[in-house]
Amino acid sequence: MFPVIDWSLISLEVLMAIILVGLVVADIVLPKNTDRDWIGTFSFIALFGLILFWLTQGHLNGTTFNSMFVMDPLAWFFKGFFLIVMVFIFAMTQEFFKTLGERRNEFYLLLWLALLGMCFMASSSDFLVLFISIEILTISLYVMTAYLKSDKLSIEAGMKYLILGSLSAGFMLYGISFLYGTTRSTHFDIIANFAAGHPMSAMALFALVLIFTAVAFKTAAVPFHLWVADVYQGAPTPVTALLSVGSKAAGFVVLIRLFFLVFKAWHPQWSLVFAVLSAITMTYGNLVALFQTNIKRLLGYSSVAHAGYLLMGAAAGTALGAAGINFYLLGYLFTNLAAFMVIVIFSIAAKSDTIADYAGLARRSGLLAWGLLLALVSLAGIPPLAGFFGKFILLMAVIKSGYVWLALIAAANIVISFYYYLLIAKRVYVDAPLNDTPIAVPAGMQLLLVLAMAGIIIIGIFQGPFFAAASHAAAIIP
Amino acid sequence: MTPNLSLILLLPLVGLLLVALAPAENTRLIRRLSTAAVLLAFILSIWVYAAYDHVAGGFQFVQNLPWVPALGISYHLGVDGINSMLLLLLGAVSFAAVLISSSIKERVKEYYILLLITVIGTYGAFLSLDVFFFYFFHEVAAVPVFLMIAIWGSKQRDYAAMKLTLYLAAGAAIALVGLLGLYLFSGAHSFDLMALQNHLALHPLPIDVQNWIFPLIVIGFGITLTLWPFYTWAPVGYAEAPTAISMLHAGVLKKMGAYAIIRFALQLMPQAAHAWMPLIAVLAVVNIIYCGLVALTQRDMKYLLGYSSCSHMGYILLGLACFNTMGLNGVVFLMFAHGIMAALAFALTGYVETQAKTRNMDEWSGLLACMPFVGTCFIMAALASAGVPGFANFAAEILVLFGAWDQYRWLTVGAVFGLVITAIYLMKAIRLGFHGPLNNRLASLRDTRTMVDKLPYALLLALLILAGCLPAVILTHISTSTKTIIESMH
Repeated sequence: MFPVIDWSLISLEVLMAIILVGLVVADIVLPKNTDRDWIGTFSFIALFGLILFWLTQGHLNGTTFNSMFVMDPLAWFFKGFFLIVMVFIFAMTQEFFKTLGERRNEFYLLLWLALLGMCFMASSSDFLVLFISIEILTISLYVMTAYLKSDKLSIEAGMKYLILGSLSAGFMLYGISFLYGTTRSTHFDIIANFAAGHPMSAMALFALVLIFTAVAFKTAAVPFHLWVADVYQGAPTPVTALLSVGSKAAGFVVLIRLFFLVFKAWHPQWSLVFAVLSAITMTYGNLVALFQTNIKRLLGYSSVAHAGYLLMGAAAGTALGAAGINFYLLGYLFTNLAAFMVIVIFSIAAKSDTIADYAGLARRSGLLAWGLLLALVSLAGIPPLAGFFGKFILLMAVIKSGYVWLALIAAANIVISFYYYLLIAKRVYVDAPLNDTPIAVPAGMQLLLVLAMAGIIIIGIFQGPFFAAASHAAAIIP
Repeated sequence: MTPNLSLILLLPLVGLLLVALAPAENTRLIRRLSTAAVLLAFILSIWVYAAYDHVAGGFQFVQNLPWVPALGISYHLGVDGINSMLLLLLGAVSFAAVLISSSIKERVKEYYILLLITVIGTYGAFLSLDVFFFYFFHEVAAVPVFLMIAIWGSKQRDYAAMKLTLYLAAGAAIALVGLLGLYLFSGAHSFDLMALQNHLALHPLPIDVQNWIFPLIVIGFGITLTLWPFYTWAPVGYAEAPTAISMLHAGVLKKMGAYAIIRFALQLMPQAAHAWMPLIAVLAVVNIIYCGLVALTQRDMKYLLGYSSCSHMGYILLGLACFNTMGLNGVVFLMFAHGIMAALAFALTGYVETQAKTRNMDEWSGLLACMPFVGTCFIMAALASAGVPGFANFAAEILVLFGAWDQYRWLTVGAVFGLVITAIYLMKAIRLGFHGPLNNRLASLRDTRTMVDKLPYALLLALLILAGCLPAVILTHISTSTKTIIESMH
C-alpha cells in the first residue's frame, strides 16, 4: 500500500520542478530563432513568487514520502537562504553573460536545477535522497563552471571540479554502503536510533569518514579544498559566487543534519576531529590567501578560511553552535555576494581580476569602492558589520564546549585575515588609480549592491531578530 | 531635566549622515557639519559631567533596552564618575581634533566621515554598560584609523597603518576570548556589566578559571595601552598618522584599554588580580624607564611624543596594580591629564610640521621667536608632561606614586626616576626646537592668528591648568566610583 503523501511539505520543490521542466520544454519546443530573453525576466519574477510562497511555509514541521523528505525550521531557514542567494546570482548572470548571446538563457535552467538540488539537500531525510540531491546540485555546477567554452581557465576549472567532485561522490556512496551494512538502513531516523543505542564501531567510523569527505568537499574544508582556488578563478564569476555561498551553505545544512542530529550520539568522539580540522582549515586558508594576486583566488582561499570558522560550530556540536553557523552564513551571504557583485562589474569594465588593477577604485566608482570595503571589513569580522557577530557566536560556542585553544587559534586567524583584507582596502582607497576612467554601474546592479550593503549593516547592528531566526532553525537540535 | 546619553551617540551619527550626503566639493559645509556634530557631543558631555551626582554615586542617566535577549545582550548606557570624566576628555579632544583638521585639503569628505566614525565608536565604548557593546564600539573605531593613517599619513604610512591595526586587532581578539570566557563561566547569562558585577560578587569565578581569563583580558587590552613589550605599534603609528588621529589615539583611544582593565579585569576578577598584577607592575616600570630612554634618543618630535606616551602608560599600569583608592584615583586622573596633554602636544607638533615640512628637531630652532603662542603652549605641555606642579599630570602622577609606595617600594623608586628621564628629553626638545637662534629657513613660519586658530590649543591648555590647580573638580567625581571598585576587590 502507498503511504499517504503530505504534498504541502514538498510544495516549494514541486513548484520549482514545474518551473524548471516548463522552461526546459519551452526551450526545446520553441523554434530556434525565437527570442529567449524572456527566460531571464520570467525566472526573476518566478523567484520572487517563490520567496513569497516560502514565507507562508514557516510553520511547517513534518516528514513525507515515507519520511524520506523532511520539512522543519532548519530546512525552511536554508531554503529561504538559497532563494535569496539566487536573487543575487540571477542578477549577476544577467550582467555577466551579456556577451554570450543566446546561450546565456540556457544558463538559467542550470541555475534552477542547482536551486532545486540545494533545497532538496536541506530537506533530505534519507541517504539516497541526500545523495541524489547532492548530485543534482553538483552536476549542474560542473556544467556551469565550464560554461565559458572558449576560455581555457573555465574548461580547466570544470574538469578539475568534475574529477574531484565525482571522486567525492564515490566516497560518499561507498560510505553510505558501509553505513547501511552497520545500521541496515539509509533512513536518518533509524540510523539516529541505532547510533543512540550502539557505540561507534570501526565500520561506522569508516563510513562516517567517507561521508564527511563528501560534505567537506562541498564546504571546502581542508584537506578537501584542493579544487577551490582553480575552480573559483576559472569559473564564470556568478558561478564562483554560487559556489562560495550557496553550495557551501548547502554543505553546512547537510553537516548540521548529519552530525548534529543523525550521529548526535557519536558526536563526542567526533568533536575533536572537527576542532582540529577547523583549526587547520582556517589557518591554511588565511595563510595561503596572503599570497594571492587574483581577487577570485583570494576570495577562494578566504572562503576556505571561512569554512574553518564555520567548522567551529560543528566542533561545538550544540544548538548554539548550529545557530552560530546559521547566523554566520546569513551574514556571509550578503557580504560575499556584495564582494562578487563588485568583482563582476569591475571585471566587465576592466577585463581583469588582478588585485593590482583595483588600485584607486575609490576614484573610479564610489559605490563599488564602498561596497567592496564593507564586504572586506565584514569578512574580517569587524563591527558594526554582519561578519562580526557570526564570529562572536561561533567563538562563544566553542569556548562553551571547552575548546579555548580553538578560540585562540581563531583569534590569531582573524588577525592574519585582517592583513590581506585591509591590503585590498588600502589598494582601493589609498593607491593612485592606474586608469581613472569612471566605471558605470548598471541601475539594477546598483540596487542589488546597495541592498547587499544594507544587509551587511543591518544584520551587523540589529542582530537580535536574525539571531532569533538562526536559533529557531537550530532549535531542532536537542 | 537629565541628559539623554543616546543623544551623545545620535547627534554625531546624524552629523555623519549629513556629511555623507553633502557634495564632496563643498568642503566648507562638510567642515561646519563635522564641527557642529562634535561640538554638540562635547556640550552634552559637559552637561553629563556637571549633572552627575557624585554624592549619590553609582551609574546614572541609565538607559536600558534589550538587544539580543537570547544571549543577554542589552543596549545599556550609563555613566559613573569614571565614564563621565572620560566623556569630558573625549569631548574636548575630539572637538580640538576636528578644529585642527582644517589643515587637511585632500579628500575632505572621506576624512570627516572616517573621523566621525572613530569619535562615535569611542563615545559608544565609554557610554556602554554592556560588555558586548563596549567591545562592539571599541572595534568600530579600528578600521577608520587604519584608512586615515594610510590615506593622510606621512612618509611611512603604509607600514604604520598596518602595524598599528594588526597589533590592536590582535589585542582585541585576545581580549574577546577572555570576555567570552568571563560571560560563559560567570553563569550570569548576561553581558550586562551591572548584572555581571552583582553575580560575581556573590559567586566569584573559581580561581583556576580566573587565572586564564584574567591574563587574556589584561594582555589583550594591555596591547591597546602599550604594555611593554607590545608597545612598538604606538610610536610609529602616532608619528605617521594625521595629527587628529595622533591626538585622538594617544589622548583617548588607548585609554579604552585602561578602562577595560579596570572594569572587566580588576573589578570582576579580584582574586586573579592580586596574583597577576604584581607582574604587570614590573612591566609597568620597564615601560616607564625603557620607553623613556628610547625617547631620549629621538630626533623626530612625533616619535619622541609617541615614546613618551608609552612611557607614561607605565604610571597608569603601575597604579592599576596598587589595589588602593589613592592609586586608582591617580590612574583615572592620569588618563584624563595625559589624554589632554598628549592631544595638545601632538596638535602643536602637527601645527609646526604643516608649515616647517619637517618634524626633525635638529632642523627646528628658535621657533619661540616666530610663533610665540604655539611655542608657549608647547613649553607648557612639556612642563605638564614632566610633572611640574600646577598641571593636572603632577597631581595624577603623585597619587599613583603614593599609592604604589607601600607595596612596590623599589618599583616606585624606578618610576620616580622615570620622571627625571621625562624631564631630560622634554627639556632637550624645548632647547632644540623652541629656544636658541631662529633658523633662517623657518623665518617665514606664522603663528596662529585668529581666536579660532588658537581655540583648540587654548581649550586643552585651560583644562590642563584647571584640573591641575583645582584637582577636586575631577577627583570628587572619580573617587566616588573608584572607592566602590576598590571595596569590591577586598
